[in-house]
Amino acid sequence: MNVKFNNRDPVYVQVIRLFKEQIARGYFEPGQEIPSRRELANQLKINPNTAQRAYKEMEEQGLVFTEGNMPSRITKDEAVLKRVREELIVEAVENFIGSIKTINVPLSEVLELVKEKYDTESGEEEGSE
Amino acid sequence: MIEVKNVKKKYGRKQVLKGVSFTAEKGEITCLIGINGVGKTTIMKAIMALTPIDSGEILIDGEKIRKESFEKITFIPDAITMLPQMKIVDAFTFMADFYKSWNPERAKELLQFFKLDASERISDLSKGNTAKVNLLLGLALDVDYLLMDEPFSGIDIFTREQIADVFTSHLIEDRGVVITTHEINDIEHLIDRAVLIDNGEVLKEFSVEEVRENEGKSVVDVMREVYQG
Repeated sequence: MNVKFNNRDPVYVQVIRLFKEQIARGYFEPGQEIPSRRELANQLKINPNTAQRAYKEMEEQGLVFTEGNMPSRITKDEAVLKRVREELIVEAVENFIGSIKTINVPLSEVLELVKEKYDTESGEEEGSE
Repeated sequence: MIEVKNVKKKYGRKQVLKGVSFTAEKGEITCLIGINGVGKTTIMKAIMALTPIDSGEILIDGEKIRKESFEKITFIPDAITMLPQMKIVDAFTFMADFYKSWNPERAKELLQFFKLDASERISDLSKGNTAKVNLLLGLALDVDYLLMDEPFSGIDIFTREQIADVFTSHLIEDRGVVITTHEINDIEHLIDRAVLIDNGEVLKEFSVEEVRENEGKSVVDVMREVYQG
């Protein structure tokens, strides 16, 4: 995982978001083992306490689970997984609407353009902030 | 926990510490930030009782520092203190003779981590590798607290990255780390707490995640407000 975090949002929030993105795009599969707090801190170059905080929050949100002394895993709960995907889609659309509204374009024109551009642009990946 | 309480110190007529107070917890990385010559190194030396203080109090896990404390806390200065003609392995022997807390296994692990060769002479090492050896000698002690003076200063970007990796690795474990720096950019995401110092005073002490969460500010944003506001 090669990620660049921004300096103004809490890092733990950015880590959770990263996990949600990875779940939504299928990089993390349901039930898949996740790195330990130390491994995650090392991979992402973040403070280990922050990694711990992110895991604690994700556990509370039902995104990951831990059984006994086993390594933590991504949830298998279909409802949670579906919600993550929807949440990211809605958020992306809202961001898009927010930026397109500032240039005052009629919806029909936007939709035309989206349809036209969607297939050609979809191969390109947007880097996380 | 390291508690620094209202510490004052004069060098001649110059008041270098004007009532400095802050705390550093075990299991956390606390960063003393300030441009050079503001008293950061003096604070570290005061914690180690390497320099006497005029007033105030410094406690380590609730106790004043004494001879036995040196098995519990260590200070890594900004430059290596071993003789240049020594090989790395000689420095290890020296440390083992001097400190009960010297951990040879961890020293070996650190050599691998930093890709260093123990048979090399300190005088033959590059600047970056000298900095790594300096850090290694302190990190290989089984102490609860590590004070590091400017570990990221004056070295190339790749060495800085490698040193930053130490902070996220098991080599730090759950020890308490206090580092000084005048350059925060590379390490904003590595630290737990920041203590902003200027002219012998603590201007602000904060949890970096809390400031991001509650105020949407980066460490540099806060520094700008405090130092230039």
